[in-house]
Amino acid sequence: MNQKYKIVILGATTVIIFILFLKAINTDKVYQPNQMVNKKIPEIILEDFNNKNSKIDQNIFSQKDFVLINIWASWCVPCLIEHPFLMSLKNKNKIDIIGINYKDENTNAQNFLKKYGNPYSRIGVDKKGEVTIQLGAYGVPETYVLKKGLIIFKHIGPINEDIVNKILELKK
Amino acid sequence: MLFGYIGNLALFLSLIFNVFLIFSSIKTIKNNNHINLKKINFLNNSVFYLLLISFLILIYCFTTSDFSNVAVYKNSHTEKPLIYKISGAWGNHEGSMVLFILILSFFSFIFFRSKVSEQLRFYTIFFQAILISIFLIFLILTSNPFDQIDPKPLQGLGLNPILQDPLLAIHPPFLYFGYVGFSLVFSFTLAGLVTNSFDKSWSQYANFWIILPWSLLTIGIGLGSFWAYYELGWGGYWFWDPVENASLMPWLSATALIHSNIVTLKKDKLHSWTALLAIFTFIMSLLGTFLVRSGILNSVHAFANDPYRGVYILSMILLITFFSLAIFIIKNPKKTLNQEHFFLQKDNFILLNNYFLIFFLSVVLVGTVYPIILDAVSGRSISVGPVYYHTILAPFLFIFLFFMSHGPLLSWNKQDKFLQLKNIKIFLPISVVTSLIIIFWFFDQKDITLILGLLLSIYLIISVIFDLISQKALKLNFGRLTSHLGFGILIFSIFINAYLSKEINTSMKVGDEIKIEEFTIKFSSINKNKKDNYEEVFGNFLVSNKDEKVELSPSIRKYNQPAQITSEVSIKSNFIADYYFAINLSEFEKDKIMVRFYFKPLMFWIWFSILLIALGGFYQSLRFKNEPKI
Repeated sequence: MNQKYKIVILGATTVIIFILFLKAINTDKVYQPNQMVNKKIPEIILEDFNNKNSKIDQNIFSQKDFVLINIWASWCVPCLIEHPFLMSLKNKNKIDIIGINYKDENTNAQNFLKKYGNPYSRIGVDKKGEVTIQLGAYGVPETYVLKKGLIIFKHIGPINEDIVNKILELKK
Repeated sequence: MLFGYIGNLALFLSLIFNVFLIFSSIKTIKNNNHINLKKINFLNNSVFYLLLISFLILIYCFTTSDFSNVAVYKNSHTEKPLIYKISGAWGNHEGSMVLFILILSFFSFIFFRSKVSEQLRFYTIFFQAILISIFLIFLILTSNPFDQIDPKPLQGLGLNPILQDPLLAIHPPFLYFGYVGFSLVFSFTLAGLVTNSFDKSWSQYANFWIILPWSLLTIGIGLGSFWAYYELGWGGYWFWDPVENASLMPWLSATALIHSNIVTLKKDKLHSWTALLAIFTFIMSLLGTFLVRSGILNSVHAFANDPYRGVYILSMILLITFFSLAIFIIKNPKKTLNQEHFFLQKDNFILLNNYFLIFFLSVVLVGTVYPIILDAVSGRSISVGPVYYHTILAPFLFIFLFFMSHGPLLSWNKQDKFLQLKNIKIFLPISVVTSLIIIFWFFDQKDITLILGLLLSIYLIISVIFDLISQKALKLNFGRLTSHLGFGILIFSIFINAYLSKEINTSMKVGDEIKIEEFTIKFSSINKNKKDNYEEVFGNFLVSNKDEKVELSPSIRKYNQPAQITSEVSIKSNFIADYYFAINLSEFEKDKIMVRFYFKPLMFWIWFSILLIALGGFYQSLRFKNEPKI
């Protein structure tokens, strides 16, 4: 066989492998906790970030027409990247965002919000990362869009311009 | 803070020096200039020292608990013992990538000091520098270990307790030295191909660079398996987990490479095949890195999501694969000489052994990658477990063992029928009798797989012993004999272990005594212990059967940071068997604890044989290093 053909075949194979694996990376994993989109939010109970004695449960999500859940932590670098988007969603678009503070130290998290602003209307604390697993999350950051307690969209990783537009679209 | 900046600076500088090295090399090649090794050496050294500095700074950040550094914050804690603060530096994604690159550069650094011809050295360093740059860019763009957090947190999140283990502190470096080590032979192969000097002399130098990382990888895999055995508490030592497979694949490929390179060296043939295997081995290492690092297999929740990381790793691995194979296609060393050909000749057996190893590799590769791809394409998830591997591999393993027993006894140059028949006449009766005795003495079931497994592994052991006794050139073959003997013992022990292991699962409270099969288990007492970073509850048990009486004290540890509970097994080991005990808290019966007891025969010999395999490799690599070259 001609060398050229061999290289073309090699190139084609490489591209096919690339596409397959790319699809695999973006697929929800076999071991993932739960595929939650189009499901009702499960029963969760979180400690209130600002008041240790008070609790937040799933009802505050189901009562609202349109709400975002954002899982974040002060140590998470991608969270810092998405932070301005969250702030603008809150201030410009008046969207209600409820935060879940994931595996974090309270003082670190307080300082983070003091420095960069607080986009959340309420914050629940998930110190051990157990509740986020029930939500089907991999880690931080992750964002859920809920309509009347139903999860209609979920984004893994920091949100960006495109996701913001998508969220605004969903709100209509 | 300041140190973080210096570390970052060192990383950037090393990238700049590296890129400079690449461009100046390209200029030399283009203009056909005289190779200036002095300059190359200076740049090559600088890259290594800079990377070393940044790695040491990272360790420093970890030991001083500098939580302004993200990696430290996420993986360390002030109350952690010093050794785990240090090992925490490579116990996370960012740090382990720095170690990865440092080792790439380290191999480049020591390779420069070898006596290989100037041209080959120049090109090898050139290709190695390309690899280093690709990974450095990845590190700096997507996983910078010196990322800062502002405001600085007061306390870290702690290292996963399951990773707080002295073995795990040294296991990754071994594994990395192993599979990153294959990068050098990869670059050396590409250098041999582009300069058209892929010949006997190449192969002679390559030997050392293949066997050294192979031996280190063997140790690395062994340590990982040993860790899983006593830390995970599942009573097993190999689970065909994708992460384990990721390290086994380059090992299989490199084992094939070692053997084909011997043929290239002795008979000046199989050049193409050897070159392809050398490239392939490193690609397998990269695939392993991809599987472990891209998040494609991820089941851990304690990480920050970054989907770009996986895409970047995938792209760079496929680029490396494409270009290296393209070079191979263009510069394919077709040099097979027309020699007299006999079937029963050593090189044919080595080639056969290669086919088998590649087959084993394919089985593992398919078992690891297929479920991932299937899930991505069709959304169906299947689980590929031990049954798949055992059923497919076992029959071929038997034939492999038979060839392995006879191959080394054949001669390189002549038809050798008579000698072989004579050997079979000696090996067969001894191994049949020995395995029959073992089977009738110890086993109730007479399974054909078991019989063949024992028979053929004993066959191999006897052939090695026979070879050892009648060996005229012991020094020359000592490494090979040690490794082969190790392999025989390993397979023998695995079979005995698989068929004679016992497992007892029950729940008990203090004072209980139970009798299951030949074992009597008594739960005598409970006691508590408080350490710096955890609290520990011990259960004391007395296990006895007809020949042995052992006391075992497994425990449950409750870590403070992060708050996690681990089960610590208690193992009493002797040459015959391990008595392995683990406890867990029971969710339903508050006054009882769940106990798991395993009887695992010949575990000592499994670890010992892996050590033998590696030692054979180390011996051989030292011999190759000091051997006079053509």
